[in-house]
Amino acid sequence: MIDGYKRMMNIEEPPPAKRAKGFFTDTSLCIGCKACEVACKQWNQLPADGFAITGNSYDNTGHLGATTWRHVQFIEQAKANGSRQEQRWLMMSDVCKHCANAACLEACPTGALVRTEFGTVYVQQDICNGCGFCVPACPFGVIDRAPKDGQFEAGTAHKCTLCYDRLKDDMTPACAKSCPTASIQFGDVEELQQRARRRLGELKERGESKARLYGMPEGKEAQEVGPLHAFFLLLDEPQTYNLPEVPRLPRKTMAERYGWSAAVGIGFAMVAALVFRGGRR
Amino acid sequence: MTGDPRKSSSPSGGGQGGGRGYYNYPVVRRPVWTWEVPAYFWLGGVAAGAYFTASLAQTFGTGDDRGVAADGYYIAAGAIVPCAPLLIADLGRPDRFHHMLRIFKPLSPMNLGAWTLTGFTPLALARAASHAGDTGLLRGPLRTLARLVPRRLTELAGSLLGLTLAGYSGVLLGATNVPLWAKSKLLGGVFMASALSSGSAAVTLQAARRGAPEATLHRLATVESAASLGELAILTGYLVQSGKTARPLTTGRFAAPFWLGAVGAGSLLPLLLHRFARRRDGRVLRSLSTAAAVCTMAGSLALRWTIFEAGKASSEDQAASFELSRG
Repeated sequence: MIDGYKRMMNIEEPPPAKRAKGFFTDTSLCIGCKACEVACKQWNQLPADGFAITGNSYDNTGHLGATTWRHVQFIEQAKANGSRQEQRWLMMSDVCKHCANAACLEACPTGALVRTEFGTVYVQQDICNGCGFCVPACPFGVIDRAPKDGQFEAGTAHKCTLCYDRLKDDMTPACAKSCPTASIQFGDVEELQQRARRRLGELKERGESKARLYGMPEGKEAQEVGPLHAFFLLLDEPQTYNLPEVPRLPRKTMAERYGWSAAVGIGFAMVAALVFRGGRR
Repeated sequence: MTGDPRKSSSPSGGGQGGGRGYYNYPVVRRPVWTWEVPAYFWLGGVAAGAYFTASLAQTFGTGDDRGVAADGYYIAAGAIVPCAPLLIADLGRPDRFHHMLRIFKPLSPMNLGAWTLTGFTPLALARAASHAGDTGLLRGPLRTLARLVPRRLTELAGSLLGLTLAGYSGVLLGATNVPLWAKSKLLGGVFMASALSSGSAAVTLQAARRGAPEATLHRLATVESAASLGELAILTGYLVQSGKTARPLTTGRFAAPFWLGAVGAGSLLPLLLHRFARRRDGRVLRSLSTAAAVCTMAGSLALRWTIFEAGKASSEDQAASFELSRG
């Protein structure tokens, strides 16, 4: 019967699952050239964000958003070291993490947000009705709704697609392709994780004691949202890069929230029943 | 990008996360929802609360209670009608509102809410029509049609769906990463209590207006006061659990509408007014009951609106986001 329904409604079988694809962003190699930001905008035909200046650093993008799917951070650190000021500049190309347990996907009421055959999280633009629930659900502040009165895909939610169209043709996503230092590496998630562990070992040997991986299966940050398919090698603690220590998955506390809500409703019903009953005597 | 992260967003700058993050930029995105959402939460809450109060009176009350409280079905029907249009207006693509119903996904409170509203609206309208048939408001073939509504079944199903409608809104806000909404797990209970107090207040208001018997009016006021007390209790728990995270709500721009409007006028004042409305000889001062009920309903709107708007400010509070995600 279900087969008949599918035939009638023209429902296609989803493509067979492939090996999970993702990004390993090694911030120790990033030089802050923003080629990834530009390549992403160009390939995905995303409009410019205007010429606002933050006045904080060379990062005038500020954050990821509906029309910005790669964002390069410039973190300037100055530390007193004896009589000298020690300066260091951390750069990081931020992107959608394509979480294994994605808050946006779970929040989506229309089924517009799906997991693709490559294990990535993707917004189907013809389904999204712009309810906006995915926007505050994401613990990383990635996905956003394009303004209703804007020129670009008005009113629907947008984020990195991991260049789904390019993956379909066995091509590397635009940002990774354009990265001149291999800071953004694209490939099978499992293989990238091996590579990341090796790289971390190398850096530790060289004395980068604060280097760490963010988004690996064994990491604290995978407790709720699972391993990140786009994960990072960081040179400082996650908060320095505005990354949450343990990103929260709303589903984990939902039952408790409904429980309190139901308790209030039942309590009210009991009190009201007693009060109305009292009138009968 | 309109440049919101470019100004320093967290006014305090203190807290355990102060200065640790990236230029005090927000960690999560600011919710895109506008005034339609708190208005819908309020109206849906009034509708659900009135329907539930009316149904409890039908089941447990005296003949007087039943007759008077049945007007609650009119309130529920009137309040629920604008809800779907408000919810649709807030969508980025209102023409695709029906995509909410292309799947059933109770894991998503937004999907559950859309289905609940879809189920509750016809039930509230049908039960109101049935009441209108009883009171002679509907005549002729319409009355015959209204008589066909299975009342007890509609009351039971409508009460369950109504409670879900009243209860899911706070859970929906809580199922995000906005610190003010997510830190405490009691927001669903707060909104439920607010829905029940404002819904029962609407029934009290109508009863006082229509000259209900003293005893019935007194019972309705007692039910409403119980809901207000519950609301105060769970709101206190919510504020305590939220701690510093609640600052955008309890201090600054929203402090006055929250403390004076939602807490003062919405819960404390009605409790006092209902207390003084009942005189020693057992008579009820209708003007005071009316005032109390109006205050409860207005306070409920203030509560939804302040928590909703302060949540937007909270989403830009970097320190609160770090606190929420602390391991």
